[in-house]
Amino acid sequence: MAVVIVFLRGGADGLALVPPVGEDAYHSLRPLTRLTAGQGLRLDQRFTLHPDLQALVPWWERGELSVIPAAGIPEDSHSHFVAQDWLEHGGDDVAGGWLGRWLQSGERNPLGAVALGPVLPESLRGAPGAVALNDLTELSRPGGEALARQLVALSATDPLLAQPAADVLAVHERLSQLATRTAAPYPDTAFAQDLSRVAGLIHADVGLRVACVDLSGWDSHIAMDTLLTPMRKTLAGGLAAFAGDLGPALRGTSVVVITEFGRRCAENASLGTDHGRAGCAFVLGGGTPGGVVGTWPGLDHLEGPGDLPVGTDLRDVFGAVLSRHGGVDPAVVFPGHQPTAIRV
Amino acid sequence: MTLFALGGCGPSDWLLGAATSKTGTDPAPGDQPDLARHVLDRCTYGARAGDRAALLALGIEPWIDAQLNAGADRATERLLDDFDVLHAPAGEAYEWKPRIVQEEVIRGTLLRAVYSRNQLQEVVASCWRDQFNVGAGKGDVAWLVASYDREVVRAHALGSFHDLLHASATHPAMLWYLDGRSNRREHPNENHARELLELHSLGVDGGYTQHDVMEVARCLSGWTVRGKERFRKGTVEFDPALHDDGEKLVLGMTIPAGLGAGDLDRVITLLAAHPATARRVAQRLCARFIADPPPPAAVAEVADAFTANRGDLRLTVRAVLTCSAFNDPLIRSGKLKRPLHYLASCLRVLDVRTQAEPTLVAALARMGESPYQHPTPEGYPERASAWTGTLWWRWRAAYDLAHAHEVELDPLLVFGRQPTTAEQAAIAATPEPAERRTLLLASPSFQRC
Repeated sequence: MAVVIVFLRGGADGLALVPPVGEDAYHSLRPLTRLTAGQGLRLDQRFTLHPDLQALVPWWERGELSVIPAAGIPEDSHSHFVAQDWLEHGGDDVAGGWLGRWLQSGERNPLGAVALGPVLPESLRGAPGAVALNDLTELSRPGGEALARQLVALSATDPLLAQPAADVLAVHERLSQLATRTAAPYPDTAFAQDLSRVAGLIHADVGLRVACVDLSGWDSHIAMDTLLTPMRKTLAGGLAAFAGDLGPALRGTSVVVITEFGRRCAENASLGTDHGRAGCAFVLGGGTPGGVVGTWPGLDHLEGPGDLPVGTDLRDVFGAVLSRHGGVDPAVVFPGHQPTAIRV
Repeated sequence: MTLFALGGCGPSDWLLGAATSKTGTDPAPGDQPDLARHVLDRCTYGARAGDRAALLALGIEPWIDAQLNAGADRATERLLDDFDVLHAPAGEAYEWKPRIVQEEVIRGTLLRAVYSRNQLQEVVASCWRDQFNVGAGKGDVAWLVASYDREVVRAHALGSFHDLLHASATHPAMLWYLDGRSNRREHPNENHARELLELHSLGVDGGYTQHDVMEVARCLSGWTVRGKERFRKGTVEFDPALHDDGEKLVLGMTIPAGLGAGDLDRVITLLAAHPATARRVAQRLCARFIADPPPPAAVAEVADAFTANRGDLRLTVRAVLTCSAFNDPLIRSGKLKRPLHYLASCLRVLDVRTQAEPTLVAALARMGESPYQHPTPEGYPERASAWTGTLWWRWRAAYDLAHAHEVELDPLLVFGRQPTTAEQAAIAATPEPAERRTLLLASPSFQRC
């Protein structure tokens, strides 16, 4: 049972991922960058899945993909740094990361929390044993197999260490089998390769509880279509390959796709959009019910400089997902937050 | 007194270019760790070659007293001369990137654990780091931890508990961490008041009520920290306009109206002298130095010593180390080393010259005990089960250190006793030197203390 957080850094435009083509206001706010009727897959009366995200259609059709079209956080500085920091801490002036607080409770594993990349994200701050990895080869076995067996044998009579030592050996063995795993096809993007490593850890059953993967580059102030087309394809291609690779294991794996904020609803003079408020979030797998969920405030009721108000607090999305992964005290994971129930 | 603190080879020996004395004068250990080794296991960050002989030469109680009364360890502090943030006033730390501040605090803590002659003081300080936890992940705490560690945790480690409690409650790091800075008469914030009672002093079963929490919050209102945007940021100040100056009733004691900042002093004095606080401090020290959970008789004895000596931590720690439970052979090797202890003990037994390189900082993080990185106020746990989940990273560290340092490791020094039959067989089956060092350092016996 793992939670995989995919962070779209830079402020991904929800209206460019799941455009509300059923609303007239969408067409008037985005005259030059809008999706016209007939493109993409209609999700319901209002929303269309952007055609660049087509790779996700099979999971949508199977009811394993939930879309939260107006998700966000109360913080409204419109600053990438401040909003990311707030989101990763899970609140205002909260100590540690929300994933770190969650991981403080429950089972601890040698590979319980992994971030793909050079550094740990703030969300994992305080997570015991969390590790930042560029590649699984960094998880090489300490010493030869004979040495590991000696250590396990010596620990066998130690009531504290017998089981943990046996677990270490088991993790090694599972990781070494990874090398011989037939690689599922993944697109040749860094994002997809990161996800393939996460899939490897899930297949190896090493006790992974949280993995964090970033996909950066969503700050589409200018020429958004040119910028976002490859981004969307990278996102959907990576997620689809990952979900396909997991197969039945997707039922026990929740992929949560988030961004620090969405973008201004009206396009700007450079065919782009500026920083806004609510963005689009996705939950894939892990028993999510599928469908479009959460509150949609509508494009006729914008806030501030013309931003989509937050209809669903991302902390409620996280809370709903974590509740399927056990050991959640909402007051510890999101102190000071009054949860609102959401089926996602 | 400092001259007697921990014999053997301190950092000054090699700084002065003297050869490290690989002493052969240790009396041969028996089948179980003796009391001298036990004292080194619990009161230091790991026994080095020669430490046991030096301790036996001095005598156990004189050694403990020398540690309790040690003066400044200038040789180790010189190693930290270049860690500018560690010496900077709280407000000046803002000139550094927060990552640098935290790195220097973590590296400084590791270097002191490895090299300090005042080992016992460093071990006791780590107990207060837990009890008075602040997490660098929240707000300005990221910058303020250097000053907090210096002026609160280490300054009062073996001083008076009252002063420790007072210093912690009025430090900008704590006022940031537990929101005391935004606790105002009109808008009370109970966070600091609650943790002051629950974690810092009385304990959750310490007999206080929700009403006491609210009254303490009133007493603490008005203590603020200057923001980053202002001159002399990070300075703690008491603003009478934000203080609730009415009469309060805390734990049955009336605090009269009009005391202003004096409310805090009254509360701290009341809490520091409370019998529940004595039990809680005794509980923590006994869990660390004796056994977890600690024998109730030892906790009672130490709590009495705390009270009789008005919270003098030097005499309280002395009571822990001289009580019969500490000397009970059955508790020896009964505890799991915490990650900082484990890493430092590897470095000490290998006699490594280190500057706390990034690989060591990363290893400590992966084992899960980087100072000031615990997010929630209860601090790092003492219980062993909280630490066994990262055994892999301990083995990794053992492997990496064993391969980086080609030294002969004496199994008698590593184990503190004669190897068991099983250990002898494992050693014999592992002839390659680096693999053998890995085996010794990663062995379950060396994971324990």
